[in-house]
Amino acid sequence: MVTFVAISTKPLEDHPSLREPASEQTGAVVEFKGIVRREEAGSPIAALEYEAYQPMAETMMRRIAVELSAQHPCDHVIILHRIGIVPVGEAAIIIRATAKHRAEAFALVSSFMDRLKQDVPIWKVRGVPLSATIDSTPK
Amino acid sequence: MRVLLFAQIRQAMGTVSIELAIGEVDVAQFWQTLNTKHPVLAQYKSHVRLARNGEFVGNDARFTDTDEIALIPPVSGG
Repeated sequence: MVTFVAISTKPLEDHPSLREPASEQTGAVVEFKGIVRREEAGSPIAALEYEAYQPMAETMMRRIAVELSAQHPCDHVIILHRIGIVPVGEAAIIIRATAKHRAEAFALVSSFMDRLKQDVPIWKVRGVPLSATIDSTPK
Repeated sequence: MRVLLFAQIRQAMGTVSIELAIGEVDVAQFWQTLNTKHPVLAQYKSHVRLARNGEFVGNDARFTDTDEIALIPPVSGG
C-alpha cells in the first residue's frame, strides 16, 4: 500500500496529492472530509484553531493507516490534516482510500477516524469567535 | 531534557517547552520533579499521556536528559 501523509497550514482542498488519477486497478475511491461547522460547544464561531505535535502526528497517522490496511487492504491512502486557523466550511482533515472494492476502503476510512481521535497528537485549541478578524494565511 | 507542551497545557504555561536537568529518572520521579519546579502542571497528571522522542510510553518508562518528553493531553483532531 502507498500512503501519503501531510500536515499543512494551507487549505487541504487544493493539495496536489488529491489530483493524482486512480490506477486501473482501482474499483473504489472513498473520501472523508471533516469540515469546520458554524457551531462549536453551542456557540457560533468563525473558525477553529488546531495545533499538532507534528513529527509524532505524521508518524502516528502513517502507522495507523498501515496497521489498518492489514485488516482492510487498500492500494493507496492519502491523509491530510490542517493546522492553524481553519475557517468555517473548510476541511480540517481529508482522508481518501482507494481499493479494488468499496468495503475495504469504507472500513479503513471509518476506522482511521476512530483511531485519529484516540491517538494522534492534534488538538482543537479554540473556536475563533464571529467577532474576530480571521487571518488564516499560512505562517 | 526538553519537555514539550501542547494545547491547554501550553496555554497555561505560556511556553511551548521547558528544560529540565534531572539525570536518569522513572515516570514517578519525572512527575515529582516537574511538579516541584512547575506546580501548575500537577493538575494535568491524571489525564496526560507521556511520549518519549515521539513515541507513547507507559508508566514503566525511564527518561534521561537527552530525551524529548511530550505531555500529551486528550487529543481532538479531525
